[in-house]
Amino acid sequence: MIELKNIEKYYANKGVKSYILRHVTTSIKQGEFISIMGPSGAGKSTLLNILGMLEEPTYGEYHFMGEDVTAMNERKRIELYRNHIGFVFQAYHLIDEMTVAENIEAPLLYKKIPGAERKSRIADVLDRFNMVAKKDLFPNQLSGGQQQLVGIARALVAQPSIILADEPTGNLQSAQAEQIMDLFKKLNEEEGITILQVTHSEKNAQYGNRILTIEDGVIKEDVSVNN
Amino acid sequence: MFKLNLKIALRNLFKNKGYAAINIGGLAIGLTAFVLLLLFVNHEANYDKWSPELKNVYQVREYHDFFTPDNKQYWQQINESRIAGVLKEKVPQFKYVTKASRGWGDGYSIKIDRNAPVIVKDIVDADSLFFKVFPYQFINGDGSTAMNEPNTIVLKQSVAIQLFGTDKVVGKQLKLVRWRSDEGNLMTITGVVKNPSASESLAFTAVIHTGEREKDPDQISSSNYTGIYAKTEKQIDTNVLNKTLLNVYTDYKKALLKARGETFNDFYKAKSRKPGLKVLPLSEVYSNPSFSENWLDKIKPIIALSIFLLIISVINFVNLATAQSVQRAKEVGVKKVLGAYKKQLVLQFLIESAIQTLSALFITIILVELLLPSFSSHFDVQLSFWHSNHLLPIIAQLFGLFVFITLLAGFYPAIILAKYNPVKVLKGNYESSFKGMALRNGLVVLQFIIAVTFIIGIGVMYKQNSYMANKDLGFDRDKLINISTNYDTDDPFVESVKRIAGVKYVATTTQVMGNTFNTPRELTFNNQKFDINAVTVTMDALPALGVKVISGRIFAKEYAQDTINSVVINQAAANLLGKNLVGKTFTSGSNKDVFQIVGVIKNYNNESFEKAVLPTIYKVTHLGGSSNTNNLLVRFDNDHYQSAIKTIEAEWKKVYPDFPMMYTSVEDSFQKELKPSLRLMQIVVLFSVISVILSLLGLFALSTFMAKRRTKEIAIRKILGASNLELINMLNRSFLILVIIANLISWPIAFILTRKWLEGFAYRIEMPFWPFAIATLTSVIIAILTVSLQARKAAVNNPVDALKYE
Repeated sequence: MIELKNIEKYYANKGVKSYILRHVTTSIKQGEFISIMGPSGAGKSTLLNILGMLEEPTYGEYHFMGEDVTAMNERKRIELYRNHIGFVFQAYHLIDEMTVAENIEAPLLYKKIPGAERKSRIADVLDRFNMVAKKDLFPNQLSGGQQQLVGIARALVAQPSIILADEPTGNLQSAQAEQIMDLFKKLNEEEGITILQVTHSEKNAQYGNRILTIEDGVIKEDVSVNN
Repeated sequence: MFKLNLKIALRNLFKNKGYAAINIGGLAIGLTAFVLLLLFVNHEANYDKWSPELKNVYQVREYHDFFTPDNKQYWQQINESRIAGVLKEKVPQFKYVTKASRGWGDGYSIKIDRNAPVIVKDIVDADSLFFKVFPYQFINGDGSTAMNEPNTIVLKQSVAIQLFGTDKVVGKQLKLVRWRSDEGNLMTITGVVKNPSASESLAFTAVIHTGEREKDPDQISSSNYTGIYAKTEKQIDTNVLNKTLLNVYTDYKKALLKARGETFNDFYKAKSRKPGLKVLPLSEVYSNPSFSENWLDKIKPIIALSIFLLIISVINFVNLATAQSVQRAKEVGVKKVLGAYKKQLVLQFLIESAIQTLSALFITIILVELLLPSFSSHFDVQLSFWHSNHLLPIIAQLFGLFVFITLLAGFYPAIILAKYNPVKVLKGNYESSFKGMALRNGLVVLQFIIAVTFIIGIGVMYKQNSYMANKDLGFDRDKLINISTNYDTDDPFVESVKRIAGVKYVATTTQVMGNTFNTPRELTFNNQKFDINAVTVTMDALPALGVKVISGRIFAKEYAQDTINSVVINQAAANLLGKNLVGKTFTSGSNKDVFQIVGVIKNYNNESFEKAVLPTIYKVTHLGGSSNTNNLLVRFDNDHYQSAIKTIEAEWKKVYPDFPMMYTSVEDSFQKELKPSLRLMQIVVLFSVISVILSLLGLFALSTFMAKRRTKEIAIRKILGASNLELINMLNRSFLILVIIANLISWPIAFILTRKWLEGFAYRIEMPFWPFAIATLTSVIIAILTVSLQARKAAVNNPVDALKYE
């Protein structure tokens, strides 16, 4: 599904290149649940951003579902990730001025999905996440765990083939974190959604079936997990 | 999506109520001034456009120097009456040519049955073809025959209702008394015309047909002046026609001058005059007055002011919107990640600007409705908004303004917002990518430049106005009234006024403030020719005015020659002629009459201070001057002259029962001359106050954001030991620099602008310094106060809260 070949990312400052990522080559298959681990500043988030097409690599090849992403124009790229990628953030990043239902609706609007279908999909997702009663609340009226649920619901409603999650439980208490991780696992196993998460937690990493460890911009380890 | 964006926009507005109010309110104020101006411009630009047929109507203008303010040639709206006949005969393009003029003086007296006479202004005396040229709609009567007979009158509907209480007045008669001793004519009303929907340059209350306009003077040497209007079959190229007209006019003048025993060359070339005759489309008549500036030139300063005010409010809008954009950064970042195109985001923020602009526009419309009556009375115009007959174009203009302001105010913030990089924003460090700082500072500077320039403007205008109000005019304007009538020596009225207790002098002059009639005169002095202004006075006029004698004497009854050939000259004339003039003689007129200078008086102002006093000679005799002055000066010897005026009015009624007496005090005439510059100053004061308030509101809101943005920095500094005062100073410094830069820039700008304004006055002050100092001081002080208010709030906060929040 995803092929990375020799991805490099560096910033040139007064002729000195400071590398964030070096020689990253890997491939991700449909249906995998991958955890990216590593110390702070190792380049985990940058890798995730490159995968999510929010950042461009300085060098290297990135194929997403057989298409060369680096050669695409912005419009095409937006089109691509609009249809295939869902994002989940550590700080949830819900839009404060929108209600729960509106936040979930937002990606569908950009996909130009007709109103009737939008309604049914939102109803469906709210139902699945047990949030029907909260659909007209604003994000600041929810707890952190609930906000992250909305964040995931928003990522899911567009029916992506891959979810990129940047420390999705980083701001949550452990009980809530567990709930979120269970949800990811369920989505991965029951619906076959590819999941890629950045995490600091050894425990959370165990939910997936593959762990990539990055240090100083280089992939140090790539191990499979059997659970 | 539109619905959702709309919702977000409204939620944001409610969330930041204060800023939204400043934004919308500020914009509304700026727009109100602009829309009022727009209405005024619409009104002025719509003169003579009340009927499509008026496209084929032209006004004839002759280039001559009769009855001009400075005795030079002008394109005048009054032409020698014989020209109409010549045009009828020689210019086939003209289907109809009509002669029509408003009467001299302040109006005619109309007497209906036994009622008290009333003065009706703006009565036009026309020949029988008037309604063939002007397509007025007759409500009653028949337009094609209304003016056929002499002694007929056609009334405007409003005037008919005012005089009779009804517009069904055809066939009724009224007595028209055109001057005080006129016996009066019984006029038959033959028609009532509808008031047109737009203003008219030849506005009239009634059109009379006396029959006098049909004829030209019998004697070839005398001339009669009248307005001439012509109607063509279809629109014509005036450039081509005007060439024909010049030829026709030259031929006519040659023949006329020959008949008068003069030659064309003597009349024109020798005196460096030029012959000229042209037509002007009626629609251009109002915007091209013969002597004064046209309306557009007159309101240019006000146009500039309202544009500046609008700019200030737009700047507020842009500043606040970009400053506020930090709050929206996350929304932009998330939306981008969810797959929004930049274009969609720009559109979203433009729609938000549009909502605010639209709200501002609604408030504007309310404000305009509220302010219109006082605005109209201030500018002596009848403006209307909803009831305007060109409401559609006005609404179209408002829509254009709406789109323009939305784009102007919304485009830059929209671009700034849509540009946020989602990766940075979502990581939470978007504050470092806080854009548009330099531009916003620039805009604050621009705002303050405008505000400070306004304040300096007030100061300079105030100085000049008080200088004018207190300037020695060279004559005494107290206890002096001017009755609109002539002074005839054997006039029983004048004789009776002289006998009234409290009356010191009764006199007349062709030159008094409020009604000046300058007559050019050529004189030969020391074998040199001079063009000089001649004023005819009665013996008592100069003492009545209270002029100051510099050398020699003024007229007095003891000197018999004073009624024959004595002249008094003013200082300006003395400067022109030389030194030691008293006792010297000069010659003037075709008979080479000899005049002797008996005295020199100090210049006295009889027009507004924009005009310098002309070199003038004053004489008592009728030789070469007119006594047809329509000024009767009455000077009283005490301050309680109201009862004396009552007695004068009673005397008037005895002598002239059919014509009401009209008078003004010379003091009022003087105030009237001051009015235009006073009016401009009032507007500048109003605009300055608004612009300063708007600028401060902008600064206030901006400093709030700035303080918020630096919360963390302030907290850290505080932990490191900074005192509250030091923190306030720190926040003040950045704004203070901006205000000082603005002051430095506005000094030269204000200097140039106010100097230009002062140069319009022949009598003016030196450029004062203190308005500059005061403007700078005020702007700095209020800027510091404004910013400190916010800075203090930020500085006294507990640093722990700020850091915890991060």
